[in-house]
Amino acid sequence: MNQEESPQSTRRATRSTTSSTPNPKSAAKPTKSSSKPQTLTLENLVFRGQPLGFDDLVSSFPGRRSQILELMRLLGTLGSPMIPLFIYGGLSTGKTSVILEIFRHLNRPFVYSSCRTCYNPRILFESILNQLLLHRKSEGNGYLSAKRCERPSDFVNFIRDALVSVVNGLSGKLSSKKLGGRANGRMVYLIIDNLELVREWDKSSNILPFLFELYDVLKMPEVGLIFISGTSPDTYYSDTGYTEPIPVYFPDYVEDDLRQIFMRNQSNPKLFSSFLDVVLKPFYRITRRVDELSSAFSSLFKTYCEPLSDLGTVPNEEMKRRLFSHLQPHIAPALNEIFRVPSHPSIGATAKDKAKRKASAKKLEVSEEFEEIDFHMSTCAKYLLISAFLASRNPATLDASLFDSTGGSDSRKRKRKSSAKSVEKKETAEQELVMKGPGTFPLERLLAIFQCITSVSEYPLDEEEQGPTELGGESWDSSLMPDVLLQISSLCNANFISKGGSCPLEGSARYRSTVDEDMALKVARSLNFPLSKYLFRG
Amino acid sequence: MERQNSAEEALILLRIRLCTPNFIFSLSSDSPDSNYSKLKFILSSSVVEACNNSVLLLGPRGCGKIAVLELVLEDLFKEFPDMITVIKLNGLLHNDDNCAIKASLSPCRNFIKLILVPYAVFLFVDEIARQLCVEHELIFSKMASFDDNSQFMVAMLHAYTYLPYLITRECGLAHKTVIFVLDEFDLFTQGKQRLLYSLLDAMQSVTSQAAVVGISCRLDADQLLEKRVRSRFSHRKLLFLPPSKEDLQRLLKQILLLPSDSTLPQDYIVEFNARLLNILAGERFKDIMDKLSCSDPTINNLLRFSAVCFMDLKSGFISLENFKAALSSIQRQPKLECLKDCSILELYILVCMKRLEVKEQESYNFNAVMKEYRSIHESFQTSDHYSRSVCLRAFEHLLQREVIAFLDNRGHSQSVEFRPVKLLLSPHELYQGLKSYRSCP
Repeated sequence: MNQEESPQSTRRATRSTTSSTPNPKSAAKPTKSSSKPQTLTLENLVFRGQPLGFDDLVSSFPGRRSQILELMRLLGTLGSPMIPLFIYGGLSTGKTSVILEIFRHLNRPFVYSSCRTCYNPRILFESILNQLLLHRKSEGNGYLSAKRCERPSDFVNFIRDALVSVVNGLSGKLSSKKLGGRANGRMVYLIIDNLELVREWDKSSNILPFLFELYDVLKMPEVGLIFISGTSPDTYYSDTGYTEPIPVYFPDYVEDDLRQIFMRNQSNPKLFSSFLDVVLKPFYRITRRVDELSSAFSSLFKTYCEPLSDLGTVPNEEMKRRLFSHLQPHIAPALNEIFRVPSHPSIGATAKDKAKRKASAKKLEVSEEFEEIDFHMSTCAKYLLISAFLASRNPATLDASLFDSTGGSDSRKRKRKSSAKSVEKKETAEQELVMKGPGTFPLERLLAIFQCITSVSEYPLDEEEQGPTELGGESWDSSLMPDVLLQISSLCNANFISKGGSCPLEGSARYRSTVDEDMALKVARSLNFPLSKYLFRG
Repeated sequence: MERQNSAEEALILLRIRLCTPNFIFSLSSDSPDSNYSKLKFILSSSVVEACNNSVLLLGPRGCGKIAVLELVLEDLFKEFPDMITVIKLNGLLHNDDNCAIKASLSPCRNFIKLILVPYAVFLFVDEIARQLCVEHELIFSKMASFDDNSQFMVAMLHAYTYLPYLITRECGLAHKTVIFVLDEFDLFTQGKQRLLYSLLDAMQSVTSQAAVVGISCRLDADQLLEKRVRSRFSHRKLLFLPPSKEDLQRLLKQILLLPSDSTLPQDYIVEFNARLLNILAGERFKDIMDKLSCSDPTINNLLRFSAVCFMDLKSGFISLENFKAALSSIQRQPKLECLKDCSILELYILVCMKRLEVKEQESYNFNAVMKEYRSIHESFQTSDHYSRSVCLRAFEHLLQREVIAFLDNRGHSQSVEFRPVKLLLSPHELYQGLKSYRSCP
């Protein structure tokens, strides 16, 4: 995946290409005199760039040798027709890049379109047709496609004509024996990527069976279809069935392959291999995807190399041990942070202590508390977040006891002796709460809690007013009310509060807090707010 | 080297054979009571004697219905040149009125042009119609106002239902037989079945010469018809069944044997054929064929199987190992493969979910799974304990692989952690997968 050039940019030419035969299609297009001529020829259907030898192909994809061989065998030699292929496998296993590199090696013309960028049947059809008709959207034609095509029936007609013309062009090239061309063979291949997204386009449409039947409908032996998908073929089964293409499976990488992949393009292979010895096994137990592992490794490698002054050295045994002991405390937290997308380099201060806390679950939670929230929020927004969290977690009946006018939290009458049955009931109630998720609350309740909280806070909310006097609190509230509402809407936009369904009786919208407990705890800590006292623990 | 060249040529020849369905089915259609001859008889009688016929071709996918129809049509074209017009409509493509009309009109363009002028007033206003009318040199009257939509729709409805009558009448007057081929017939029976009704109704008139051939993979396709449509339909059904094992074997032999009159060197052909016959007669090959036909005995499956067979280019012959390898690559177990791909953390989560199911909890979500995970960790003291966010990400991976799925379709009203999920693997599969995993703790 690392070395794949984006196929879109390399396949299109912006100048007229090396082919010396005058292509009637490009001649028919009006070329603008001012800008460079945007003529495309059949050469553009072939992967541009250096031609690739077979050994290079295999060595650039470690661990994929058998799949490459199988694919090449299924594609066949020049001019042999092909039953549609279905390539499937996990994510980031290299399906797209392998097939594109194979086509680069074979030098056969192909048309690639992905169902992720073409999120509509219409865009998908038009993209394929544009590529086949060698049409490029530009200023000259107002960024329009060559043909407007919405329905599958139109698509079949258009593509039949386009394919016939392309095939004639290709065979004409073969017979004329001119040396410019590099496209081999008379066949054109259609590659459709990310097929699993098609299932979600429109549940009632027939696009997916249509794509599978396309080969039969077209009845042209010069076209080959290749489907690439992230999910296995049994997720595509439908009621009426379809003619199944030939499956080719790309398994996830095993440890040796991963090691080989990561070893490529490294400036200091020995150093990196000793790093990998330490790091690969524990991380392998969590995930096997290349993209996640590579992002985790890159940051770890930097800490690994810290004690080294010279990055070019080849470590011997003693140095390896030293580096390992330096790295070891970092591994454990890195394992837990493996999926974190770093927002800005905020290396936790207490790296060494975290290693000790790996023992039990409870301590892990405690350790996470020591992290700061690494984005900025205004005080008002933080209070709103906490109030929303409380409103979601606590049932509404508790509000009165928790937030009475003294703002006290100690006068809870919970010190009754609880029998075993009531304890059990409380546990099941808590379990249900956990299961159901955060509850909804109306806006008024949120504002009420917000007022209660802020009136007893010790934090100076407003710079001019010092000390939470009763009067001061009220006047603050009334003057900042529109600001509070604005904050609520911005919290909604940032997905901290989501809008639930509206209650049919009252008619007002209800909200729901989507913040989890750790986050709320972090926010509360930053405000020195005793959140845990207010939470309903059953 | 020469052997390699001839092997390559042979491979190309075989592949071409495998990919053209007509070749396959012409081999199996010589017998007099086969579907081929019956269909031919029906259609030729409708051409020659000008009687109107309708017939349904039913059978599971991949049994050659369309291929046989193509063969019959080819023969008819040879026998009765210039007397037949074929209109092909596909249920997948043409389930919309406009498409069906456009598809119907293009084959008939030669002799309909003048007649449709008075009806052009009713025709539709959008882009397709414009092109269509230009194609057919019709006078196009623009219905400018979209305000009277209801009138417009009514007018379009008339045009739509008149069309088959027009076609058949004109064809009858011109002494041509129209054959309507309706592919994916069951998709036409959704909705109001207007097209079907008008087609079958048009055939009832005296001046028309038409035949309707419906192709479907649902064996109860004629039950889907409305009453009025069914009454006009002559209940002729041709059932296409997948061939028996002996037939399959014979077919495979016929496909794979190289013909003796090709351009390949003669001794290569002889040796190739001899080896192939040897293999095909063996016991182990019969086992392979049994396994293949147990799951899916259609001809299409056989073709796919043959296409995957590897012919070793060096030796130039197909061997039994090639057949075995092809069988294993066709018959896959995707869920087991998925399991092999999961990392160990993901396997943990799957096992937790299974334990929850064993405890008879009907619906559970991610939080419950986490609790279970923690309890396993505490009781077994493994070293594989990870934080919640890591587990959540592994959970999402499992969702992407479609090993687990959400139970409700409510959209994104709740975050991922709280939606109930279900496990899409049976316990047996899970157990098998875990056993075959190499380094599972």
